[in-house]
Amino acid sequence: MITRRTFLSAAAASAAALSLGACAPRGSSSDTVIRYWGMQAADADKDLKVIDAFNATRAGSRITIDVNQVPSNGVADMSQIITAVRGGTAPDVWQMDRFNAVQNASIGLLEPIDDLIEEYEGVSVEEFTSQWLQFAVDELTYDGRLYGLPINTDARGIMYNEDILRGAGIDLDMFDPQQHVLTWDELREVSRKITTTDSRGNFETLGFVPWDGEGWPYTWAFGLDAQLYSNETASVTLDSPQWRAVFELYADWAEEFPYAKADAFFATYQPPNAPPSQTAIFSERLGMSTTGPFSIRSNEKYAPKLPLKFTWLPVGAEGDETYSWSGGASLVVPKGARMTRNLWEFMKFYTGFEGQSIVQPLLGDLPTNLRTIQARNYNPKAELFRQMLPTSTSRPPLPVGSVAWDTLQRSRSSVIIGSQTPQEAVAINQLSVGPKMALFEGYQMPATYGQNSVIPEA
Amino acid sequence: MTATGVKARVPVGDAPPEAADGTAEGPPPERGRRRLSRTDRRDLALGLKYISPWIVGILVFVVYPVGYSIYLSFTRYSGMGAPTWVGLGNYVTAFADPLVAKSTGNTLFYAMIAVPLGLVVALVLALAMNQNVREVAWYRTIFYAPSLIPAFAMSFIFIVFLNPQFGVFNQVLNIFGDGANVNLLGDPTGVKIAIIMMAQLGAGNAALIFLAGLRNVPKTVYEAARVDGAGPMRQFRSITLPLLSPVLLFNLITGVSGALQVFTEAYIVTNGTGDPDAGALFYMMYLYKNAFGFAELGYASALAVLLFLVGLALALLIFWCSRRFVNYDVEAS
Repeated sequence: MITRRTFLSAAAASAAALSLGACAPRGSSSDTVIRYWGMQAADADKDLKVIDAFNATRAGSRITIDVNQVPSNGVADMSQIITAVRGGTAPDVWQMDRFNAVQNASIGLLEPIDDLIEEYEGVSVEEFTSQWLQFAVDELTYDGRLYGLPINTDARGIMYNEDILRGAGIDLDMFDPQQHVLTWDELREVSRKITTTDSRGNFETLGFVPWDGEGWPYTWAFGLDAQLYSNETASVTLDSPQWRAVFELYADWAEEFPYAKADAFFATYQPPNAPPSQTAIFSERLGMSTTGPFSIRSNEKYAPKLPLKFTWLPVGAEGDETYSWSGGASLVVPKGARMTRNLWEFMKFYTGFEGQSIVQPLLGDLPTNLRTIQARNYNPKAELFRQMLPTSTSRPPLPVGSVAWDTLQRSRSSVIIGSQTPQEAVAINQLSVGPKMALFEGYQMPATYGQNSVIPEA
Repeated sequence: MTATGVKARVPVGDAPPEAADGTAEGPPPERGRRRLSRTDRRDLALGLKYISPWIVGILVFVVYPVGYSIYLSFTRYSGMGAPTWVGLGNYVTAFADPLVAKSTGNTLFYAMIAVPLGLVVALVLALAMNQNVREVAWYRTIFYAPSLIPAFAMSFIFIVFLNPQFGVFNQVLNIFGDGANVNLLGDPTGVKIAIIMMAQLGAGNAALIFLAGLRNVPKTVYEAARVDGAGPMRQFRSITLPLLSPVLLFNLITGVSGALQVFTEAYIVTNGTGDPDAGALFYMMYLYKNAFGFAELGYASALAVLLFLVGLALALLIFWCSRRFVNYDVEAS
């Protein structure tokens, strides 16, 4: 039987243990150990290859990289890193989706790195960052300060199955990216030819729908010149005629390829949360899909025999300039981290020529480091996406990026279902994002945002 | 606790014994005014020490977060830096936010169907678990087992279950028409219905509480009713339901409280989007998005406070209504 004395002693001991736990060490105090939250557990081997190469250099020979592959809770869920920063257990460097950089910088979650550049490189930030694609640097810039260095990037294009197209009698030259850029009308015609229905009218094979895969509102917005924010008026422009055109495009396609039928088709052949091997493309039911170079790896892994090729995103009329958008990861420094030379050397190595030359060919994505692009140190199958980079850009670097993304995605769903007209959708979008952005009065995106990037030839 | 048929216990030496009719004789005790003796004080201190881990737990993990959340609801706060006082700004925004209205509508739709349906399912399960047969232990296990499946796993099972081409649900629909053309998860109302269906598989917990209530109903009452010629339906209507009403009230309140916080299933089956057309964007999901997706902890706290107030109001309303249907007269057999 537990006596009163035993119980109280045990309770006191437990409380003391809890208190001690709260005072647990916050990681190594030595600046030769850099705590790093890596890309993700599935790609931990690629992280290690870069780290090994870094350790083999003179600058990195005495540095230990303490890697932690912390799984993400979701696209924009920052609760883990916020908790770590508040609790004093944040890493010194963190691999983060660039899309979240401006929002995270705006809430004070990241340290600006301008001082590191000026102190250790002895050049201006502009001069130093000219080694990387401009749009990738813009995406890491908030209020005139730089918050990280870019790693990989990508672009969006159309992936198609040659067998399905050939079977429908389509001239494949139309899809050859070196010969032709598809127009929306041509894409629609091809989609009609590929699409077949069963006796009950359900889709058996489907050509294309613009809301599948990477067919986000942003994807088509870049082709229709729809801008989310105006630096001139310092306001959100989600109710512009260009944005209405984006949603009209969805509505127009949904009229011919009804949402309910297309949805039943996708739910059948690539249900939500299905494994990456279970897609309508791999089961040879879908002719074309909007995607990026990140598909190359899964194509090779799950459907190596399928003749899957890529071409440009469709344009309005023949001769129109091509367009795309690019995302990717970056290395950033969470608030409160030790801004040491060793940390800087690691960041510089990982995101620079050496690091990107190691990791990009393994990922299938494209480098952001211009020298790495020039040396063609990436998967050769991603070459078309490299050609897309000059006219590609990032999503607008705004402190309300997640809200804008969420709102646009929801409106797309409402328009293709038919519960909102394109006009209603853009009005609601403006109402949802405008007031939140108004809190950042006079906000200016980098002046270079949206301009074509100069990509050196090999 | 008369609610469960056990007579209220009177502190020893504090008040006169109860009369046979339940009323107390003599002057009412002076509650809280009596001076504590030295022994009482020592016992009180000791008692508090014994429960101190729970007191500390409640203060640290419940009282402080709730209080801080109420404070944050009047601020603009991202999780970093210091909160900025905005007064009632977050509440004003919430009432004008179309997604608050949409997510509230979705949640009420869910609650209004899932809660009554859940009570019926749980009651039917409890009646089945209460049958006087030899294999009753097996039945209880089988009926309760689905409640042990985590919501996370259940959601994935339902995604397959509702697959338009291969799902069991759609195969049944095929008997009557074209099941392959129906994707319940792709329809704004259908996805809510699917989540309501999922919730019913967790009815075992409520069923256990009903079962405890059923076991508490004296057999003699049924025997008397049978002698008077009451059939099974009449016994259920006139004996079981009235005597089960306190348990029904408990399950109703916990059911409503749970329904207002529906989250996991919707988050998984919609990949965290709440789509199609925000049809599965429940209030808690929208709150979560604001807190952790948009870094608006102040606004999310205001939404949490509003949810708490709505939950409280509904609980009070149910209590007020319960005076008409809850019967506390049963005694333990």
